[in-house]
Amino acid sequence: MRKQRTRPARFLLFLALTVIIGLTGGMTGYAAETAAGSEADVLRVGMEADYAPFNWTQMNDLGGAVPLSGSSEYAGGYDVEIAKKIADGLGMELEIVKTEWDGLVPALTSGKIDAIIAGMSPTEERKETIDFSDSYYTSQLVIVVQADGPYADAGRLADFSGAKLTAQLNTFHYSVIDQIEGVVKEKAMDNFSAMRVALESGMIDGYVSERPEGVSASSANERYKMIELSDGFETKAEDTAIAVGVRKDSELKDRINEILAGISEEEQTDIMDEAIVNQPASGEEETTNWLVRIVKENWPMFVSGAGMTLYISMIGTMIGTIIGLLVGVVRTIPVPLRGAKRGFLKVIGGILNVYIEVFRGTPMIVQAMVIYYGSALAFNINMNRIFAAIFIVSINTGAYMSEIVRGGIVSIDKGQFEAAQAIGMNHVQTMKNVVLPQVIRNILPATGNEFVINIKDTSVLNVISVTELYFQTKTIAGINFHYFESFFVACVLYFIMTFTVTRILRFFERRLDGTDNFNMAGNQMQVVRPEDLQKRTN
Amino acid sequence: MENVIEVQHLSKSFGTHEVLKDIDFTVHKGEVVCIIGSSGSGKSTLLRCINLLERPSGGQIIYHNENILDNKHDVNAYRTKLGMVFQQFNLFENHNVLSNCMVGQTKVLKRSREEAEEVAIRYLHVVGMSQYINAKPRQLSGGQKQRVAIARALSMEPDVMLFDEPTSALDPEMVGEVLGVMKQLAGSGLTMLIVTHEMGFAKEVADRVVFMDKGIIEEVGTPEEIFEHPEKDRTKEFLKRV
Repeated sequence: MRKQRTRPARFLLFLALTVIIGLTGGMTGYAAETAAGSEADVLRVGMEADYAPFNWTQMNDLGGAVPLSGSSEYAGGYDVEIAKKIADGLGMELEIVKTEWDGLVPALTSGKIDAIIAGMSPTEERKETIDFSDSYYTSQLVIVVQADGPYADAGRLADFSGAKLTAQLNTFHYSVIDQIEGVVKEKAMDNFSAMRVALESGMIDGYVSERPEGVSASSANERYKMIELSDGFETKAEDTAIAVGVRKDSELKDRINEILAGISEEEQTDIMDEAIVNQPASGEEETTNWLVRIVKENWPMFVSGAGMTLYISMIGTMIGTIIGLLVGVVRTIPVPLRGAKRGFLKVIGGILNVYIEVFRGTPMIVQAMVIYYGSALAFNINMNRIFAAIFIVSINTGAYMSEIVRGGIVSIDKGQFEAAQAIGMNHVQTMKNVVLPQVIRNILPATGNEFVINIKDTSVLNVISVTELYFQTKTIAGINFHYFESFFVACVLYFIMTFTVTRILRFFERRLDGTDNFNMAGNQMQVVRPEDLQKRTN
Repeated sequence: MENVIEVQHLSKSFGTHEVLKDIDFTVHKGEVVCIIGSSGSGKSTLLRCINLLERPSGGQIIYHNENILDNKHDVNAYRTKLGMVFQQFNLFENHNVLSNCMVGQTKVLKRSREEAEEVAIRYLHVVGMSQYINAKPRQLSGGQKQRVAIARALSMEPDVMLFDEPTSALDPEMVGEVLGVMKQLAGSGLTMLIVTHEMGFAKEVADRVVFMDKGIIEEVGTPEEIFEHPEKDRTKEFLKRV
């Protein structure tokens, strides 16, 4: 008779504890790591590693590539070569931190990195928040178009009248488009990957870029063509020049300038030419089936990305569900008519309502930015990215699950609460032994739904550079310039994950429901029969 | 006779609606008391006030010389002394029959699983449900559920059993099996307080019958006094109708 059913509540709690302990361990480890990193002997440099030939990601250290911090991948390119020279000159060790373009400045100001070497121009706007060194490269603006499109033979700005053009968000590339008369200025895009996809699909006729990027794109994929303009855009030196970004009033600025002064313009061109040759996508043989080739070449990255996505969404959903259950229990504590306990419960209830409303009412992508960069700026907490990701997904899921759990608790008939009270159970005992096991069964479909949503929504965490599937795919596409194929693989992987999870949860639901049959006790040997009982009591 | 529960000047209002008015009455040890009266007369509310499922608006409830409405009184410990059987059975849907009868013992009374199991099976045997220990509540008929609910309450080994219209939600052919169990319990010397519409049953098993009307106790007496020689007009009227 000691057959114990598996208890979902206890199982979940155990898992959550394991995870939390694991994470706390991870956190302490990380804290130690950053403490070491902030010492003077390591120079942490931020870049996209997705903007060839300035910077890119590759799988090995060929061509002098440097390992990316917290990853098995490497960064190469013009920026990396310059970063190496600067680190050498400073007598420091170089650490490259792969960071989204929009995350670079906040990462610098919040102290997650020490310098930005990412093909970034020292614009007036940026100078308000950070300082820049002298220029380490001056580039020329070009327009990348479809090789077989209507603008393939354009040569002057005026030829682009009527063309749909765009450029990267928050760059001067975008503002110079206004100089073309009659141009259709499309919305700015987040990154070059997106623009290349847009160009290939014909959504835009071209995008404004700098010469090195244009050379790379057109040599990697024959569908792109770079147009060098005979008249050219009017640009300010501060725009076409690119410089190293450092924190305001950092003593690094003068020391970096000294080192940059030692690199001649000729040397710059040499390094750039070499970078263009070395970049991963150029000079590779053409293969007809890119899909197969992409999977073959990049499967470790796809797998690690899918693993990360699954990990974050699974842990996040579990912790979120536990948060939801706890909030549900607290919010259903019967409020006494008067006394201190009443006031206390009211305050707690108010706080929980604010939590639910705020996290349900704001996008996760915005929460990610606020929590990850905000915690660093305001409280000087340097969160581990994966920890931050799990944290964000957990509290988000928790807010949704709280409402789902509340609905689940309300749906249990009042009689069972009364029966539990009548045999002397307090609120926690009632919840734990009677109500929550039924609630958990009832909310299982909704929990599965949350899990599936989380698998998909973790893709927004790419804004804090978590190496989940979307982020990895973007990187892969950034290397091979074949966007449709790369994202198609990601699409299939996402579907496989969500589909599998849905099936597994169905199976669990059926297991929990049990069969409609039961054994009469008399037919079972291990059952205590009344006769035995009498013998024992006599 | 020892007083187990003493209700003094008890009143209960829901908003402005006064359901119980100045109720005084006592349950003695080993006694079977049936509360009768028309619907809405306050019978169930009185029973629910006694185990504090409803908080009385005024008056006192004395249990073994202790006022349980005193704020410092441990309500949960008191409730373990009262076994409650509901009209709607209210079995725990997530537990099987055996576990329904064990969970209160192990979690509230902190009995060992072995002891709880033995006690549970003993009382399930009493109500004739010991063969069904593996069944889930949804697999049982109404009469079976109510018998399990009685065993669940008995497993806590309470001082007093409270029955709140235990047969009102049952199909007629199942009423007998539940009343049979209750008669058997009444014969065993258990203290019982029963709200019921079953007059024949009340006549047969009650030591005393309480007739309630419009929130007050109209008349109290032996079954013979109440059913054969009622004094009050209201009582006569009620008995004529049923």
